Order: sequence, then C-alpha cells, then structure tokens
Amino acid sequence: MNTLIQQIVNGLSLGSVYALIAVGYSLVYSILLFSNFAHGGFLVVGGYICYFMLRSLEAGIWISSFAALIGAGVCAVIVERLAYKPIRERTSVTLYMLIASMGMSIVIENIFVVTIGGRFRALPPVVPMQPISLFAGATVSAFDLLSFVTSMIFLAALQLFLSRTKWGLAIRAASYNLRTAGLMGVNVNRLISIVFFVAGLLAAVGGIFLSVRYTLYPQLGSMITTKAFVAAVIGGLGSLPGAVAGSLILGLSEMLAAGFISSQFRDIIVFGLLIVTLIVRPTGLFGKSVGEKV
Amino acid sequence: MLDGYVGGIVTLLAINCVAAMGVSLFTGFTGIFTLGHAGYMAIGAYTTAILTVRYGLHWLPAIVAGGLAAMVFAYLIGIPTLRLVGDYYTIASLGLGETIRLIIENWNSVTRGARGYPGIDSFTTMPVAVGFMLVLASGMFFLVNSNFGRAFKACRDDYVAASLLGFNTAHYRVFSLAISGFYCGVAGALLGGFMSFIQPVMFDMAKSTELVSIVVFGGLGSMSGCLLGTTILTIITEFFRPISQYRMLIYGLVLVLVMVLRPEGLLGTNELTPAFIKGLFSRGGKQPDDGASS
Repeated sequence: MNTLIQQIVNGLSLGSVYALIAVGYSLVYSILLFSNFAHGGFLVVGGYICYFMLRSLEAGIWISSFAALIGAGVCAVIVERLAYKPIRERTSVTLYMLIASMGMSIVIENIFVVTIGGRFRALPPVVPMQPISLFAGATVSAFDLLSFVTSMIFLAALQLFLSRTKWGLAIRAASYNLRTAGLMGVNVNRLISIVFFVAGLLAAVGGIFLSVRYTLYPQLGSMITTKAFVAAVIGGLGSLPGAVAGSLILGLSEMLAAGFISSQFRDIIVFGLLIVTLIVRPTGLFGKSVGEKV
Repeated sequence: MLDGYVGGIVTLLAINCVAAMGVSLFTGFTGIFTLGHAGYMAIGAYTTAILTVRYGLHWLPAIVAGGLAAMVFAYLIGIPTLRLVGDYYTIASLGLGETIRLIIENWNSVTRGARGYPGIDSFTTMPVAVGFMLVLASGMFFLVNSNFGRAFKACRDDYVAASLLGFNTAHYRVFSLAISGFYCGVAGALLGGFMSFIQPVMFDMAKSTELVSIVVFGGLGSMSGCLLGTTILTIITEFFRPISQYRMLIYGLVLVLVMVLRPEGLLGTNELTPAFIKGLFSRGGKQPDDGASS
C-alpha cells in the first residue's frame, strides 16, 4: 500500500514534468502543424545553462534557473528564425519543417557532445531531496512534491497568459487558423516567436527537474521528447488540456510499471499505450477530429 | 578484380541502397517522415540469422523470409498509425525502433540478447549484394512508375484530392509502408550476412536517422536521387572515418541545410534519365547545386 502511494506520487511528479514539455510541443503543433523534434534540445540547453551557472559561476539556484529559462527561450526563438522561418515563408509543406526540426535536434545534441563531451553530469545539491512523511505512513521525497507544485504553477501561469492577455487571444486565434489570424492584423512572425519562447521556457523548467531526477547528458532531450510526444498524442494532438492529462497518465503508468513489474518494461508500456490509444480512440482524450473524411 | 576493402565498401553501398530505397518510397514518394526504419532492418536481420543458424535454411529463402517478416510487422504497425492525417506515424516510429530493439535485447532465448547473434554464414558476397540491389532497384523503378506509384504521389501531394478521385489514401499509405518495410528487412538480412554478427545496437536511432538523411539529401521523390545520395554519403563517411564523432553532427546539418536551402534535395523529383542529363547541359552546363554538401 505504501509502495502504491509512493509510486503514485512519483508518477504524478514525473507526469507533471512531462506535461511542461508536452504543452510546449502541443502549443507549437497547434500553430504550425508540425512536430518540433528540436523541442528536446531546448530542454537540454536549459539544463546545461543551469548546470554551468551553478558550477562555474557559483550563482544561486534562483538566478541559475532564471538564466536557464531565458536562455532556452531565446535558443528556441533562434532555432525558429534560422531553420523554420525560411521554410514556412516559402512553402506550406509541413514535412519540410518536420525534417528540419529533426536535423536541428541532432545538431543541438551533437554540439554538446563535441564541445563539452557526452558524459553524465549531476547538478550540485541545490534542490531539497529529504524524505517527507505523508499521511498513512508513506514517505515521498521533497523533490517530487516540489517538481509537481512548480510544474502546476507554470501550467496555471500559461493558462492565465493564454486566456487573459491580448497575445494569448492571438495565439488561440492562430491555433484555429494562422492565415486568418494574420489577415486580422496579428503580427504572425512575432506571434510565432512568442510561442517558441514560451515553449522553450517551459521546456527549460522541465529540463532542470529532469536533470536533477536523472543526470544531465546530451541525449536526455530526445529520450524525454519521445515520451512527451506520446503523451500529447494520448491527450489529443494540439490540445493543451489533453497534453497535461496525457502526461499525467503516462507518468503514472510508467512509474507503476517500474514499481510493480520491471523497470525494463517502462518504455514498452509507453509504446503500448500509444498503440492502444491510436486503435481505440485515435483522436486522443481531448483531440479535435483528425480522421480522414472520405 | 576488386580487393577486399573496395569490395567491402561496394557491398555496404549496395546494402545501404536497398535500405534507402525503402525509406525513399515511404518518405519521398508517400510523404511521411519516419525515424524507425532501423527497426525493420533489425527484424529482417534477426529473422534471417535465426533461420540460417538455428534451422539451417539456405540463405536465399531466409533473406526473403526476413524481408517478409519486416513487411508483415510494418503492415500491422501501419494500420493503426496511418489511418490518421498528421504526425502520428512519425511519433510512433520514434518509439517503434526503440521498442523493437528492447524486445530483441530482452528475448534472450531466441535472440541471445544484447550480446548479439554470432556465427552467421557470410553469405553476402559482393555479387549477392549487388544482385539483390539491382533486382530490387528495377522492381522499385517499375513500382514508382506504375499505378501504385502514381497513387502514392497523389496521396503525398494532396490527400483530399486523391481521396476524391477514389483512392483509398489510408490503404495506399499502409501499402507503401509494407513495401518499404520489406526493402529494409532485406537490407538488414544482407547486413547480417555481410558482418556475420549482428547486435541490437547496430539498429539504433542513429541508423534510422542516417537512412532518412540519405533520402532527404538525395531528393524526396527521386529514386535515382536516393541512390546517388547514398553513394555520395557512404563514400564521404568512409573518407571521414577518423573524425567519426562529427558524423551525427554532419547528418543533422545535412537535414537542416537541405531543407532551408534546397528542400527538394540533390535531384528534386527528377530521375536521372538521359533526357534530364541532356537538359542539364543545354542550360549552360548548370549543375544541380547541392548547398548542403559543405
């Protein structure tokens, strides 16, 4: 029973971190209709900025995280300007942007491999890890609670941004139809930059927590992105509440599988969930209908 | 005639060409990005290895059986993931390659796990590989110019129009994936016979990326472009073997630069026919510039 509660808390904590990444990915997907594979790269950029601020500059955790968030956001905007803008201005074939994003993800990953090496790095102990006893005698780590709460705060902030601000309104309009939003006087290029900045920022929050949970290494991004993408599909591609729900489901099932079956099966469970979703309910939990109309 | 080293490169080139043709049919002609085709190679390689080593089957039917096994698997994966419009197959393919690798690594009694499968007869001599390449290449050229090939291109260019013309687009996408899986399965089987030892790690994400980069570089929608791209990239990576840590970085840059500068790749949708070559020279010897080779 205690193990069950612990695994549920672990699962929710991992799922909420997936949600940060899946939401950023869904946001980009809902505007530009392509899977941004470089999304995992932003996460790694954020993780490394935080690591080097803490290690080399010996800055505090608040300043380091702030720098990581801004740095990853800026990196996302630069990637968009360099790789996607020339393509989307010339053609409407989203396959080209998909391929370019895959290339960018490999480039970001391997820039880290060739410059600072592929070894595993642990962040300095800046996040509280001590166990906290819950009711019913179950203990969870303070880190799990912290990552869950922080993720929820950021998701709520995103929700406020999207529902209460003018740019949020523009983003919601663009997710229905980018062209029409442009015709209605929205500055499309700035809107896309803002979307990428927000996505990069959220990915960096996830990146910091993931590099504490696991260690930091260049391939961390692509491993996590796969899961965040699967979570987004389970929730419904392009839907933000769906991405959050899918991530929590994925985090829970992964941790329960690791706790009660074998941690070898974690990734197989993830893939199995994806296939089952596509067979049973292809649009995901909250998705718009994407089935072919024939 | 050819010494061992050059012969080895030619054999490897022929094997790469077979796999690249498979990916080219699916990504170039049907327009769906994939990152899991190394998984089909793994299925082909292991099926052939187990049939020849454990059951003593002759290598020729074993290779065909390897291809067919990959084809059946691709068909089964394609049914749930290709019914939908969107990046569903691409996301599934990310998990697919990894899942196949995990299953092979953990199914010790049949596949001998992560240590690899030794003792395969080296049946892939240069004539065998080149023979397979020629037979499969002519099959592929007939296929892309047949009714099926035109249906694939129609589904790629405008699936709404294609379905209004009475094509069952989902059916054609699954069919294209199955054939593409067959080619990759045969390539994997040949690779097993060439190395006489196979290991799950040989069929990882990097292999899938390599295949797709080759196809993008050669030209999406050009079979001869894909063969040319394979030849150029195989020879280049052979020359730059001493700096192999940059190998993945180069593949990533190829993907981004080709998409940004020349999304149609080396040859675009042109085939290397006598008329096309004559056309090149009549335009003042203008070469198809490949902005990504730098």
